Amino acid sequence: MRRMSEKAGPLAGGATQNWISLGLMVVVGAIAMLSLYLGFREYGRGNIELSLMYLLIGVSGFSAIGFSFFKAKPVATSKDPSKEVPVVTTLECPQCNLKKVRDFQVGDYIFKKGEPCERCEGEMVITRINARKEPKKR
Amino acid sequence: MFYAVNQVLQQDSELGVLLQTLFSFAFIVYLFYAQRIQAMTMLRQIEVNLRKIKSFRDKSRETAIEAIKKFGKPAFDPTSQVDRFMEHFMIAPVDMDPAGVVGKLGQIVNVREFTFEREVAQMAPEATPAQRHNLENLLEASLALNVFYKVIRHYYLMGKKTMNIYIIMQIHMILPALIQQVEAYSAALQAFRDGIPIGDSVGPIVAAKLLNGAPTKEVAKEMVAGETTIEGRRVIVIKALGPGGSVGRPGDAIERLLEEEDGKVKMLITVDAAGKLEGEEVGEIAEGVGAAIGGIGVEKYKIEEAASRHNVPMYAVAIKQGIEHVVAPLVEELMDATDKAVESVKSLILDYSNEGDTIIVAGIGNTVGVAQ
Repeated sequence: MRRMSEKAGPLAGGATQNWISLGLMVVVGAIAMLSLYLGFREYGRGNIELSLMYLLIGVSGFSAIGFSFFKAKPVATSKDPSKEVPVVTTLECPQCNLKKVRDFQVGDYIFKKGEPCERCEGEMVITRINARKEPKKR
Repeated sequence: MFYAVNQVLQQDSELGVLLQTLFSFAFIVYLFYAQRIQAMTMLRQIEVNLRKIKSFRDKSRETAIEAIKKFGKPAFDPTSQVDRFMEHFMIAPVDMDPAGVVGKLGQIVNVREFTFEREVAQMAPEATPAQRHNLENLLEASLALNVFYKVIRHYYLMGKKTMNIYIIMQIHMILPALIQQVEAYSAALQAFRDGIPIGDSVGPIVAAKLLNGAPTKEVAKEMVAGETTIEGRRVIVIKALGPGGSVGRPGDAIERLLEEEDGKVKMLITVDAAGKLEGEEVGEIAEGVGAAIGGIGVEKYKIEEAASRHNVPMYAVAIKQGIEHVVAPLVEELMDATDKAVESVKSLILDYSNEGDTIIVAGIGNTVGVAQ
């Protein structure tokens, strides 16, 4: 069965837009700008043929940037969808009040009993399961 | 450079005239094609987000298939069944004549629930009941992401085909809100796959904390009730049966308990997660009146109907959270907030009831990762 996700073909034609192509656009833009400047300068000096050549290069450069901007396949700069948050489980012993925090394990649930206490003979109870707080970025 | 530009832009220079003509031409082009350019820019933004949603949708599908294989150990490859599940839909009843529409909607929802249960049972025969519930929730998240993707893609492609700015604008305007919801659903995958409590589990956690290990019995489908005493008041606490992911049928449970208690119940308190406004803190507690319960409205209707029939005042405790927290693994602030909510419920009971009264407290929400 052919899945929707396997559907061939991009949503829009053209090159994929990423940081490399953006950098390339900046370079092309700079060259186009320089060409326009040289075109104006050569026109002022009376070199009509040379100035037209420079102006043509400049205009072509900017046209190429405009075309690639609208036709390139944009790449989502979102966070990685597979990124998962670290989760911790807190266990408490009702007899000796020992508190233990460890990484979450599949099968853990709040108020689950059964894990032996490391300090006494008691049974520890899971009292909290929550995502680990990420340290705030400065 | 500016000197050179000024020189060539002089009115009497040939190039100046040429550039004037070009500018005039550009102005005329913009006059007629401005909307098209704007449409192209908006389409581009939609496309960026569509790719993001597609990656979330594909990831959810992969996660669901992996989880089914891991927990359910099916004899066959569940991929085609997962794909079929992701295309499942529900047709709401006709509401031209609204009388009795809640009952009809409730019946359709029950059939949907039954269908999902059967589908998951077939896909994951070896899974425990709790794992099956989690898989059901995981598949529902995948289904939701698939719907988001397909609807946005529909508007994108239709906008691209017609280049009609009003079609494009419809989706462009609500895109930030949609992305928020999509990201919330994608955060749910980890929680439902591993059975981690989510933001919506705060209601059942509060109920379980009030029960504090008291024995419980099943009072409605996937709903349990237990009894405790708070300063001389008899408190019946209900919640969905955990630790598998389920919201149960709190409406049915409350209806049944009110019937059984036959006028003895003096107060009904519902505890649920509530959407916070921007600027409010995650885990803020608010008290109010009415039935604190979300969903499509069937359970809320049943609660309101039963409470008004038995003349029981309804109080509500809301635990505030953002849309990004509702189905994502429970954050520390919300876990802390459940203790405050327990205190809030106790103070409501003490303030508005007398010794010897019977009170029902319902912890509303998905009980994934929370026992009783």
